[in-house]
Amino acid sequence: MLFPTIEFAIFFPVALALSWLLMPRQKLWKPYIIIASYVFYAAANPKFCLLLGGITIGNQIAAKLIEASPGERRRKWITGIAVAGNLALLGVFKYYSFFVQDWANLLEKFHLGAPAPLLTIALPIGVSFFTFQAITYVVDVKRGDAKTATTTDLAIYLSFFPHLIAGPIVRASEFLPQLKAPRDPNRVAVGAGLALVGIGLVKKVLIADYLARVLVDPVFGVPQAYAAPDALLAAYGYAVQIYCDFSGYTDIAIGLALLMGFIFPQNFNRPYRATGFRDFWRRWHMTLSRFLRDYVYIPLGGSHGTRLFTYRNLMVTMLLGGLWHGAAWTFVLWGGFQGAGLVAEHALNGRIGRRTPAWFRWFGTFNLVVLGWILFRSQSLEQFWDYIGRFFVAGPATLLTLPVLLSILVVIGAQLLPEKPMERLQIRIEQLNPMILAVALAFTILVVGATVPSQGVPPFIYFQF
Amino acid sequence: MTEHRDDSEMSRFDREGVRHFTARQSVIAVGIVAAILLVLSGNSILNAADEEIQGTEKTLLKAIGNPAATLADNPLADASGKLASNLSPDEALDPAASFPSSGSGTINQGQLPPVTPSYFDPVELDDKLPPKVPLESLLVTGDSLSQPLDTELARRLTPEGIEVTRDAHVGTGISNSTLVDWGQLSAAQVEKHHPQAVVVFIGANEGYPMPGPNGKDIPCCSPEWAAVYANRVRQVIDTYRQDGRAKVYWLTVPLPRDPARQRIASVVNQSVVVAAQPWRSQVRIIDTDEYFSPDDRYSDSITVDGNDQIVRESDGIHLNDAGSSLLADRLLDRIDLDFTR
Repeated sequence: MLFPTIEFAIFFPVALALSWLLMPRQKLWKPYIIIASYVFYAAANPKFCLLLGGITIGNQIAAKLIEASPGERRRKWITGIAVAGNLALLGVFKYYSFFVQDWANLLEKFHLGAPAPLLTIALPIGVSFFTFQAITYVVDVKRGDAKTATTTDLAIYLSFFPHLIAGPIVRASEFLPQLKAPRDPNRVAVGAGLALVGIGLVKKVLIADYLARVLVDPVFGVPQAYAAPDALLAAYGYAVQIYCDFSGYTDIAIGLALLMGFIFPQNFNRPYRATGFRDFWRRWHMTLSRFLRDYVYIPLGGSHGTRLFTYRNLMVTMLLGGLWHGAAWTFVLWGGFQGAGLVAEHALNGRIGRRTPAWFRWFGTFNLVVLGWILFRSQSLEQFWDYIGRFFVAGPATLLTLPVLLSILVVIGAQLLPEKPMERLQIRIEQLNPMILAVALAFTILVVGATVPSQGVPPFIYFQF
Repeated sequence: MTEHRDDSEMSRFDREGVRHFTARQSVIAVGIVAAILLVLSGNSILNAADEEIQGTEKTLLKAIGNPAATLADNPLADASGKLASNLSPDEALDPAASFPSSGSGTINQGQLPPVTPSYFDPVELDDKLPPKVPLESLLVTGDSLSQPLDTELARRLTPEGIEVTRDAHVGTGISNSTLVDWGQLSAAQVEKHHPQAVVVFIGANEGYPMPGPNGKDIPCCSPEWAAVYANRVRQVIDTYRQDGRAKVYWLTVPLPRDPARQRIASVVNQSVVVAAQPWRSQVRIIDTDEYFSPDDRYSDSITVDGNDQIVRESDGIHLNDAGSSLLADRLLDRIDLDFTR
């Protein structure tokens, strides 16, 4: 079920009312919220509920075994097996078709027998997010950051519908404590919740989908048909599209959770004001960044070693981060590009910062990030080079319109404004009477809905990951 | 225990100035949103129900949609609808070109339609081909099946100076006019682009009940349904062929994995063949199963030049990039019999 759909608009008010009604009776609320979340998930494909249930049970068994194990060595082994099991499932569903085809091509080159069956396996929606959350659970239990949850609490943690499909990736140690007692019915950030849902919808439908339709999809589809001005415009347009699409989804997810009394971690913090790669990754998809830091980079040894050792760890982490985004070499290369940026920054060790003005570092970072997005959006390396080649072709800007230009400038410009006044404005909105905000949200939905083409709202970009 | 920094800002909603309300206010606020939407746009629920073929979701949406549509039958909703239509990114289509509300399928008594030479494809008759003309404009359209074939064709033909228009309408079908009426859409496309050749790849969202000759809905997939479907396809083909000035390349639906869908695809493909019959000299039916299911069985992969290649998406319906590229090869081979490039 997608958030901006009629089905969800019917589902959520009922789910919310029942949730608060049952909240004081936790024995009823917990099974209820699991059922509601599974109904939400089943709307995509009921068969995948079995996978979600299987992951829940498998990881709970692992966590219980870790808890019961006396020796560190045994705990390590069980954690390793559980993490490998989660990754294997992710591998089968997400990467099988990708690797088996390349593997088959390679074997056939050397006339080396029959490869594995060439099958396409349907990707269960949200699998990348809930397997990562399952990993944080067993690892946090092993590290002592989280206690073993009851199976019911774990099922809620993994399936809770506001974050089930595309995150944010909530740590077990952040979510499970919120299940210990009923949420306080007198401390609900209703204003913030409604405002975030509205802002998220505007970002997704009014900006991201609009830019995709009129600018990004045409140019990235057939770059050969466009010259430098359109290619540049579409590259910046995609930077805005992907930000509004994903942060819009996150805003809606966090807003819905707030209305239900739950708090999710922040996932975006004005990423396009970053003045370096490290800064960018502290602002972009923050829950993935810290997952990669805490569960990949640090276990690899982090920066506790020689420079070369640190660079290796940075590259491995970012290559895996790239691969997480999808089964394609362009994603791996994009991860490599980000890793190279981090390594270069580390190697210069702040020397650039001391000698260059902030605006210059911002300008360089932003444009390198946009260059990375071209690779991310391209279907193949060949298409990437085709696209880059268009920067050197003179011609008119056929897709430049006032709404396109405004969408790009407003989204990027808003991130560059001073933080304090923006925060104060946000707080003032959140303080408004919820009934006024509700009326505003309803009219926002009507306006946003009117701009949806007859084919409906395209899926969020991060659904495929 | 590892010390986590508060890098997630979990306490940001407790910061000074953030006002908290009650759960009751949360439910009432969301209720107000829902109520306003129901009063001003309640009929959208029925529209969403019409997009479903059948099943619990359709029943549920209909059950809620009927009273909601009654609620939305008010002057405020009308005014809101008019304002909303001004914001719609969809092109205004000509209602006169829509599919008939009752499916035709009969001919006047005592009148036998004459068979003309245009019923025959000269290639299939092994006859002399008409002289080729340079291809200047191509429209690639259809539902989601037409993607990424449309991009593939555009990438190959655009550098040759051929104007390729890609106009996919995802989620639409000829048997369901809720999202778009293909009778109207095809007329608008021709009016706007006047393409010399049209590639149509549609059929992933078919199987909806359609009104028969007496106005009553006919469920898929009887001969009666096939006749109504064929009449709609015939209307679309007739529009695209532009009185014989354009060539139409209609791709059949590749055999899907799901047996229920296989039945629909089979009826759709047979209907297309029947529909195109009067103009086979201008309409090429490209049988995709010839390439992707040569032994009449669904397969994710096929053998290409001795190598196995995955050609389908994991949904068992669509072609992937490799499959679309292969189909583009075959399609261009056929287009090259009619045009020069």
